[in-house]
Amino acid sequence: MTMSFSAPLVKIQSLHKSYGPHIQVLKGLDVEMKPGERVVVIGPSGGGKSTLLRVMMGLEKIDSGSISFGGKPYIFSEGADRKTVIDTEVRRSIGMVFQHYTLFPHLSVIQNLILAPCKVRGENKASATKRAQALLERFGLGAKASAYPAQLSGGQKQRVAIARALMLDPKLMLFDEVTSALDPELVAEVEQVILQLAGQDMPMMIVTHDMWFAKNIASRVIFCAGGVVVEDGPPEQVLGSPKEERTREFIDRVFHIRH
Amino acid sequence: MDYSFDFQSVSFGPLWEGLIVTLQLTIAANLIGIVFGFPLALLIMSRFAPARLPAMLFVEFFRCTPAIVQIVWFFYCVPMLFNVFLGSMTMGIMALGLNLMAFNAEAYRAAIQAVPREQLDASIALGLNPLQRTLYIVLPTAVRASIPVLLTNGIGIFQQSALVAIVAVQDLMYQAKTLATETYRPIETFTVVALVYFAVSFPVSQIVGYLERRRQLIMS
Repeated sequence: MTMSFSAPLVKIQSLHKSYGPHIQVLKGLDVEMKPGERVVVIGPSGGGKSTLLRVMMGLEKIDSGSISFGGKPYIFSEGADRKTVIDTEVRRSIGMVFQHYTLFPHLSVIQNLILAPCKVRGENKASATKRAQALLERFGLGAKASAYPAQLSGGQKQRVAIARALMLDPKLMLFDEVTSALDPELVAEVEQVILQLAGQDMPMMIVTHDMWFAKNIASRVIFCAGGVVVEDGPPEQVLGSPKEERTREFIDRVFHIRH
Repeated sequence: MDYSFDFQSVSFGPLWEGLIVTLQLTIAANLIGIVFGFPLALLIMSRFAPARLPAMLFVEFFRCTPAIVQIVWFFYCVPMLFNVFLGSMTMGIMALGLNLMAFNAEAYRAAIQAVPREQLDASIALGLNPLQRTLYIVLPTAVRASIPVLLTNGIGIFQQSALVAIVAVQDLMYQAKTLATETYRPIETFTVVALVYFAVSFPVSQIVGYLERRRQLIMS
């Protein structure tokens, strides 16, 4: 992919999304993301954070708006019935890791990793297995290649899920509350892996409730509430001294709970 | 009570032959039920009404009428309506197999619907197309999840197979009835037969319990 230095990697324009006729989750959301940026999305429950990531992955239909990746619109609504169009070729450049239950329980760790490369990209099994094993070693999971998901801890499962997404060489990673379902002592090992990716300049968008992690990984923080972006800026500003009243209330409340 | 038990008069030869027939019926019916139950489940879940409605009618017919009526109906009506008679054993297998197919289809349907939404999200995020999702994720997960119910239905049909005795299939129950009439020892004969049915069913039901415990462990 070729693009000029400052061209946006992702451009989301007036995104609207509702569940049924009454619940409007995204109400004209605009976000731009430059190459190499690590955007952390924070905000109250029901504010549209997870929906935003799910829409970017093409898991949800949209009402209107568009999302471009590398300058190419890949999700938009079209025609009189506002049908959601998804360009699956472009979408393949994006990887996503979810909160839980997403490893395939009937497949071993290595089989989880090579399924998509072999079936979707037609890579041969030997080369996929070799890459998978190397990736597992890197994440400290080399000995778990033939284990089944049920035999892993929650933290190990999430690290495998991250490795599985990386097998497809994504140009952007989406992390949707990947540590929210974990026991507190397992959170760090998963965050370490994500920090490791950050060190390699992997562009990422992260939804998290962990403000310590947000501070450590973000190059930019977006505060999302009521289906729109309320505040958008460097982590020191949004997490430290927010300009918007709603952001300040949220940050105060979150830090009050944590201390 | 001055009844004196006499188990000596129960001869095991005919009961053994009957058991073999009963096991043949059970295994054949289970093969039909396990294999064809899955496509039937996909038809029940189809969005295409001309495929879904006949499949649902089929399932509900077998679920909502007594097995004994199905067997008698099969045995007397099929030859008259379609002018085919396939031998009592084949007819017995067909009746039991179609019955089991209906029940297994429901087991498969429940298991397919129980595949966690997150698994499908993950497979979409990995770029698998709908056919690949069905083949590599839904089918293996659903078949595994439905094994305990398939086994329970399987023991069910093993016991229901006793009903084919009334249409002259020489199964365990048929041999028992004959033996009881010949020896005037129904209590002893049917006690032994009950123990035989139990001895076959009990280990299978234990396996079901074991699989369910193990599954709860895996899903937790």
